[in-house]
Amino acid sequence: MRRIGVLAAMVVLVGLLVWAGVYNLRQRRAAMQRAQIVLVKDGTNPPATSGSGSNDASVFGGESLKGKIAPGFTLVDLSGKKVSLADFKGHPVVINFWATYCGPCRLEMPWFQEFSGKYQPQGLIVLGVDQDEDMPRDQVAEGAKKTGVSYPILMPDKSIAKSYALGDYLPQTFYVDKNGTVVEESVGTPSKDEVEANIRKAVGL
Amino acid sequence: MRQGSGARAQGLGWWVLALVVMPVIAWAQGISLGDTSAVKKGHVVFLSEESVVEAGKPEVIELQFRVDEGFHINSHTPPDALLIATSFKVDSGDGVKVLGEEYPKGAAFRLGQGADAELLDVYQGVFRVRLRVVAAKGAQTLAGTLRYQACDNAACFPPRSLPVLVAITGK
Repeated sequence: MRRIGVLAAMVVLVGLLVWAGVYNLRQRRAAMQRAQIVLVKDGTNPPATSGSGSNDASVFGGESLKGKIAPGFTLVDLSGKKVSLADFKGHPVVINFWATYCGPCRLEMPWFQEFSGKYQPQGLIVLGVDQDEDMPRDQVAEGAKKTGVSYPILMPDKSIAKSYALGDYLPQTFYVDKNGTVVEESVGTPSKDEVEANIRKAVGL
Repeated sequence: MRQGSGARAQGLGWWVLALVVMPVIAWAQGISLGDTSAVKKGHVVFLSEESVVEAGKPEVIELQFRVDEGFHINSHTPPDALLIATSFKVDSGDGVKVLGEEYPKGAAFRLGQGADAELLDVYQGVFRVRLRVVAAKGAQTLAGTLRYQACDNAACFPPRSLPVLVAITGK
């Protein structure tokens, strides 16, 4: 009789421990799911795979601007001169967001330099928008110089990252046609051929 | 005689039952789902557990970190001053004096192809920062920050600071 009592107590104890464990596990799984949802909402979820850029910013959490009018902006260049997107009305424009610490950005910037010359007859304008946080202009200039680009480099303000729905990653590039519509966008560095294909789309070839 | 062997068999039965049930309980109570913290989005996690050192004497402890698969961070000595070096900064540590830091060598990482390629010096996977410390007797906590900047093959993420608490016991 005593043995049965001990056995019953043990079964109850084990049952309670298993129940507590399962409850604990479910709670942690639910917390994990909530955390993942927050990451996606923040737009900070990293690309699941590496190795190439994507032509769809929305897959990285940012809102796609493809087919929409490129948000206007006025920023200062490295000499302190104000530059507005509206200054280039009627021109196809490439807007490339980059940072000095970003290796893939430095890889593709010379390509933009090359294509800005190649498609100059079509009126192509390339604008590089720096995204370094609180970096002095002379250091940004030094970083740009290392890439060998001569197209305008613009200093960021607080609103442009929001208006272009940039995520937490660089580079990001928007290809705008002469009507001001974003015809292509890319996150990360695509191949040089893809960059040129996007530019050709923007210039209407 | 038969009663004795029966009792022994019953005792053995309890042990077998315990051996089967206890791992199930342990699993249910303590299963790990991997890195559940939001630090995951930072692409680097701190792995080290408590270090036990001889109190009052210079000792080396290792801080172990892991970079998420598919990502890399610059080593402590990147080839370009504009790239952000991985570094560990001690924030506070009553009872622990840090005498020096030693970083591992990075691995060569080729970004891009052909003439456009850039050679980087990076940490991937698990890497260890060694600290030379002198700890007082007892349980001590060293607070520090790992600063780094992560990229994959095609994109980079802003510089981040990962706060770490290092448990050190001086004996």
